[in-house]
Amino acid sequence: MHGGRGTRPVLIVLLIAAIALITLDFRDAGGSPAHSIGADVFGPVERTASAVASPFESLFRTASGRDSSEIASLQKQNDQLRAQLAQAQVTTQEQAQLSKLLQLTNAGHYRVVAATVIAAGGAYSDTVTIDAGTRAGITTNETVLNGDGLVGTVTAATGSSATVLLATDAAATIGVRMEGTNEIGAVTGTGSTLGAVQQLKLTLFSATAVLQPGQTIVTFGSVGGRPYVAGVPVGTVTQVTSQPGALTQTAVVQPFADFTGLGVVGVVVSK
Amino acid sequence: MTALRRIAQALAIPVILLLAVTLQLAVVNRAPLPGAAAPDLVLLAVAALAVCAGPMTGTLAGFCGGLALDIAPPAAHLAGEYALVFCLVGYACGRARNAIIYATGEQTMVTSLTVMALGVAAGEAGKAALGMMLSDPDVTSPAIKHVLPVAIVYDLLLCPFAYWLISLMLRRPAPERAPRPEFAQVATAFRAASAGALGAVPSLRLAGSTLPPVRPPARQEPKLRLSAGRPSSLSGTSAAFSPAKPPHVSGRAVKLNFAEHAAGTAASRPRQRTSPGKGWLRARPAAGSPALKHRPPPKGWLRAARPATAASLRLRSPGKGWLRAARPAGTPAMQSGSPPKGWLHAARPGRPAGTAALSRTSPRRGWLRPAKPVQPARRKKPGRGWLRPARPPKLSWYAKSPSSQWVRHSHSPWRSRRQRLLALVGVRR
Repeated sequence: MHGGRGTRPVLIVLLIAAIALITLDFRDAGGSPAHSIGADVFGPVERTASAVASPFESLFRTASGRDSSEIASLQKQNDQLRAQLAQAQVTTQEQAQLSKLLQLTNAGHYRVVAATVIAAGGAYSDTVTIDAGTRAGITTNETVLNGDGLVGTVTAATGSSATVLLATDAAATIGVRMEGTNEIGAVTGTGSTLGAVQQLKLTLFSATAVLQPGQTIVTFGSVGGRPYVAGVPVGTVTQVTSQPGALTQTAVVQPFADFTGLGVVGVVVSK
Repeated sequence: MTALRRIAQALAIPVILLLAVTLQLAVVNRAPLPGAAAPDLVLLAVAALAVCAGPMTGTLAGFCGGLALDIAPPAAHLAGEYALVFCLVGYACGRARNAIIYATGEQTMVTSLTVMALGVAAGEAGKAALGMMLSDPDVTSPAIKHVLPVAIVYDLLLCPFAYWLISLMLRRPAPERAPRPEFAQVATAFRAASAGALGAVPSLRLAGSTLPPVRPPARQEPKLRLSAGRPSSLSGTSAAFSPAKPPHVSGRAVKLNFAEHAAGTAASRPRQRTSPGKGWLRARPAAGSPALKHRPPPKGWLRAARPATAASLRLRSPGKGWLRAARPAGTPAMQSGSPPKGWLHAARPGRPAGTAALSRTSPRRGWLRPAKPVQPARRKKPGRGWLRPARPPKLSWYAKSPSSQWVRHSHSPWRSRRQRLLALVGVRR
């Protein structure tokens, strides 16, 4: 019958090819040249598709009633931000003096490259592609943030596109500091384990530190600002889940950034 | 199908895959759908292509589509994972589709969608399983618990749409999709028989299914009449088979003879003279010719030396005793002095006809029992000589099976085909 005998050798060859690819990629820990070839090939395609699809997407968002609720929440945020701005202006002056004093010239070290999310990964992985790459100065292990807070870090970059590992991915671990108490800990993504709700898991290294809902978390920072620069707001603690007697305290963190509706993001590139 | 159309369809497949990959990454994965998961358009496209175009297309499309999903930028899993899974899904869907077409002779939308749905669900599960096996940090058991059911539900919802779209793009002209005429006919006859439509098909019985019917004393009624009592709606599945002219020989009942229905086509013609046998040089003797008197009939396995009344019918018969109904009692062969030995004979003449049915011990031999209770004598096959063709030419599988005996005891593909057919008609062994 047609397709019976002739297909089997083809199938076997293709299976062997797939297993060889998996093996190569496994050896390189996900960094085999196949991915960069794919990025070169599919990056422009995705950019075009995203440009074509963006009107429909906004239409979809309008149709699903996202806009009205978004406007309301934005107005509320605006009021809050105005209040914070007044406080911040005071703090900035203080900070400028302090940084001058401590010769922390962080302000001149970084610049932010704006980019747009053009594609997203599958159901299991929380990754996105942005439309800026090494030509815009982006390299791997650079912090990605948006107006709300931390988004993630760049894991791969080609000429015109880069892949961002979101903070909610199960493979992402971020060093954080509690705002106010300065206790340090680590935040891990929960991936798709909690359904559609994007949440993070906080582990505080100190067993005696005060941990309560409503506390804000910022990034701790890494050496040279890679992969995460210091001081980027991550989220707020919503629920303390630590067991009495445990060595570490754990909590659920609601991130500031909306990971399901990412649009424009900024990549902190070093000069 | 014109060459242009063929080229256009061959080009359509990569376009479909590229479109699916792009839509998946740029739109579907970003859309804020309810639930933790999104449908996998590439998997749907691969399954639909396999169901519509066969296993080869399915395998290739699965590999290419999966590889594209593997290496397109935001992919966090290892390259080759989806290629492996989708390749298997495409192959399995294509093979299942071919098997269904093979067994039933037609491809309906329901079976296609079922195959597709099973393939898509298996593909989603395979993605998760392979990710776990390769210790992907994203693919953990709680993540699978959240993602997998939602993803399968989305995929199943999109299944009919994907099938419709791709079958529209890969539509072929009707003759290529026409069911096999021989089989549709057999299946129709047997369905009618097993459903109890005994008025239409008087004494057709499947071996081992029921008690043997009492043989009628006067054996003049037809064993299986394919032309007269058949409802017209049953022949609607076949466009190629025309039921217009039943084979009818001089007032006798038509025997169940499947080769004969295809006799109009040129392909089935070699069937009637597969081997010249030992008497290949002798012309067909007329009744009462001197050659018949002097010599006993040869033992060659196409016995040509028959009295003239039955000769024309017998020569057109399939010849191997393979679905032969009984010969009426009054034929001259029964009254002739020398009882013929071969497997072309209906009943032993020495025994009365009524006792033959009762003394039958094993009703399982032969899946459509002819009225002949006697097993045909196994004869030595004539050697493969220069006169004998090395192998009978291949035709459609159903119209000619090489022999009824070795098929039943061998591991050849004929055996599985036979059993598939038996299972389909409802005979369980």
